[in-house]
Amino acid sequence: MTQTLTKISPSNHEFADIIHRLEAGGSMLPDTPENLMQIIGIYKAYAVPMDFYWRDLLYIAEKVFLNPLPFFKYFLPQEYLDLKNHYAGDTADLRVWRGCAEAHPELINFIEKGETIKGSKLFHHLWHDRINMEFAEACMRAMYWHGRDMGMGKFDSYLDSDEYKHNADVAIKAYFKGNPAMLGLYKLFPEMFLEQVRQLSYYSNLGLFWEVMCPVFYEMSDIYDEGGFKDVSDAMNFLVNGIFAIAGRPIYHHVYIDGKCYEIISKSKGFTWLYEAALPYVEAVFYRTSPFRGTKSYNAQAKQVPEHQKDFHYGILYADVFPVGSAGIPPTLLMDDMLHFLPDYLKEYYQKNCRGEDDQLIQLGITFQRSMYNVTSAVIQALRTALLYPLDDENPKHLMKNRQFFEAQMDRFKRPEARLKDIQNPDYR
Amino acid sequence: MTLSLILWLPLIGVLIIGFFPNPVKTNTLRNITTLFIFITLCLSIYLLTQFNLGISKIQFTEYLTWIPQIGLNYSLGVDGLSLPLIFLNGLLTLIAIYSIGEKVERPRLYYALMLLINSGISGALMADNLLFFLIFYELELIPFYLMIAIWGGEKKGYASIKFLLYTAVSGLLVLAAFLGITWFSGSASFDYADINTMALSANTKFILLTLLLIGFGIKIPLVPLHTWLPDSYVEASPATTILLGGILAKLGTYGLIRFGLQLFPDTWKLVAPGLALIGTITVLYGALVAIAQRDIKRMIAYSSIGHMGYILVACAAATELSLLGAVAQMVSHGLILALLFHLVGIIERKTGTRDLDQLNGLMNPIRGLPLTSALLIGAGMASAGIPGLVGFISEFIIFQGSFIIFPIATLICIIASGLTAVYFVILLNRTCFGKLNNKLAYYPQVLLLEKIPAFVLATLILFLGIQPQYLTRWIEPTTDHLIATLTPINVEIAQK
Repeated sequence: MTQTLTKISPSNHEFADIIHRLEAGGSMLPDTPENLMQIIGIYKAYAVPMDFYWRDLLYIAEKVFLNPLPFFKYFLPQEYLDLKNHYAGDTADLRVWRGCAEAHPELINFIEKGETIKGSKLFHHLWHDRINMEFAEACMRAMYWHGRDMGMGKFDSYLDSDEYKHNADVAIKAYFKGNPAMLGLYKLFPEMFLEQVRQLSYYSNLGLFWEVMCPVFYEMSDIYDEGGFKDVSDAMNFLVNGIFAIAGRPIYHHVYIDGKCYEIISKSKGFTWLYEAALPYVEAVFYRTSPFRGTKSYNAQAKQVPEHQKDFHYGILYADVFPVGSAGIPPTLLMDDMLHFLPDYLKEYYQKNCRGEDDQLIQLGITFQRSMYNVTSAVIQALRTALLYPLDDENPKHLMKNRQFFEAQMDRFKRPEARLKDIQNPDYR
Repeated sequence: MTLSLILWLPLIGVLIIGFFPNPVKTNTLRNITTLFIFITLCLSIYLLTQFNLGISKIQFTEYLTWIPQIGLNYSLGVDGLSLPLIFLNGLLTLIAIYSIGEKVERPRLYYALMLLINSGISGALMADNLLFFLIFYELELIPFYLMIAIWGGEKKGYASIKFLLYTAVSGLLVLAAFLGITWFSGSASFDYADINTMALSANTKFILLTLLLIGFGIKIPLVPLHTWLPDSYVEASPATTILLGGILAKLGTYGLIRFGLQLFPDTWKLVAPGLALIGTITVLYGALVAIAQRDIKRMIAYSSIGHMGYILVACAAATELSLLGAVAQMVSHGLILALLFHLVGIIERKTGTRDLDQLNGLMNPIRGLPLTSALLIGAGMASAGIPGLVGFISEFIIFQGSFIIFPIATLICIIASGLTAVYFVILLNRTCFGKLNNKLAYYPQVLLLEKIPAFVLATLILFLGIQPQYLTRWIEPTTDHLIATLTPINVEIAQK
């Protein structure tokens, strides 16, 4: 930072301190041991349910597909629990996590026993003693809905192409083969089915995105347990490096009908992980999403909801922690999912603050918010690396370009709902 | 003997607390206070079980000649008018002990004053001698004054002096009336049994009754004699407010019935329409001013003024049903008000504010005060007279009983009870619902010790709302007997 500041004058931006920290290769999250402990702990707690999310998202996209009555779409078959992660285990294409490629043992244990008692899957499902896929689906829908508007990558526009429509048509007809009722419906309302397939393509997109993030978070947790990360920027840099290592991973949508694979979006289309999944995910889920249902009434006519989707600001970076703790909305369910897998050191930490065990959900929600600011910092740094100049560049003009980029990113947190200011304060819990 | 125990046990407690060797923990003092109050509460429950429902006159009488030269005797007894209030006194003192939180400054004095208050109020309710009543009625002033002055809020000095001045004037007026009653009627003593006002001239009776009405009107308080109340209620600690509103104010309405209605039955008809008018104004004023408040404690204080107005309208109507409703309202209002102030005390302790503009989203299940909010909603419903809760029972009986005598006043009161719902909806909507403020909401948890009093009160409010006979059975014989002497007057007013 000192080096940068000597070459260009200090920023006058509202978040100048944070911008200077980013210019020094740091994160939006202040670099404290407490913050490091919190974010790594929550990455671990997030990774285990995420291990379920990505598997189930792919299961729904590939196998459940257009089942008109998908009652059992959250009942992950053994085949998908055993599905090998491409970034973990001995069979990995690129081994990010040193652990196993199959579902995490803690996840398997939880699926069997739940939080309450050992019982059938149906019992656990109805008792809500399960991993809540509703959160994953909400993220997927955010990506799908905002995808039309974000103008990022080529994945979304491809969903309107004739090629995609043809591939979807083949798959739909194959799936409903021998079912004249559904085929008749398809004949009558082709767009409705096509729209469902587009959504399923986003299931696949998000599933493939999280397949990567899951081992990344596991590995970060293991490194931290071994004393490997010294500070928050170490953790952020691990993410930045991971992003570049996996950036080219293909994003596709395959459907398996009667043992045959239908490539609705083939790997050869060249859609890549960074541009077609990671960046749209951050924009749609971290920044935008949509107002959470059931917690606050928004009056669109009174302009309480922004007119343009690009102005939406309901993502985790803006999230109000209290609606999170209220009704059964997706983020609450994520907090609930993470609660099952909190590392002991994080449990002890929550025990010491606020209401201890009684408000762990809120505390871990805020930790999650901190950790996502760190992930966003990694994305911002990755984008800067990809599009602009190194932080130690000698040319002041280049450094000024970087500065402008960082300032433009920080402008998004000027609105009052943004929690960037809050997370600077260690007492924000 | 039981009545003497109820009277003297708390005073023994005062001595024990006073002479307890140092160093002494606050918890020890609280436990001693709790023990003595709990025993008196048990004794009052014992009285309830032993009370003969077939007898309308004073029971469990205890009599000792004390200072015959001035007509002052140690004369105790209870009837359906006083017994429920004695129970209420024990219960609310017990609740108040646990309404101030863990830390109490100068605990020795604090708990001693609590015991004194309990004993004083019991004494006033059990006294069968005008002067004996007055001793306790006046004795209350000092502990209450100290409670406000020492453990009060920012303006405690102002509030406590105002309280002292108003209630001292109240005491003086009542004393003047009592002396006039005894001297002009030529009674040998101040014993109730010896007093006979029938021979007094109409003007004398009117003047004496007016003195009583103003004296007790300050205590109730009635508009426009009420201005001490909002300041005292707001500045006093929750425990003191519970005792002030829950039981001390009832001494005013109790005195009105016991001495105004009972000693001057024929003059009552003259003042009844005026009383009904003042009662109605009090009800409307209380409700409307409550709506305008931003401080929830002040809102409940004004709500209390309004609810006391119902009692006055019922007393003015003086029918069997209205008087039954009036006494039932004393008990139910005491319970509901105590619950409201207890909960407001919890909210203030936990959030550090009583400001409607700052409080929000307390229903939040994780970081809010969900149980406190839920009980606050229940208490608000009870206060607004929602069926199934004790507030409905007493208000319904009052309206039913008063309508025949003062239909317009009663209808206005019914409308005003709707206004109760208005300000409680405002209060609940602002405090309990909405969104918690992210920056402020690091509230400590409500302790079990703080929850238990609220549970006890809420249970009683619900139970008596469903089984009102456990409230009215003790009151009915006495109020029926009281009204039997007034029936011709009622008919007269009704015919007018």
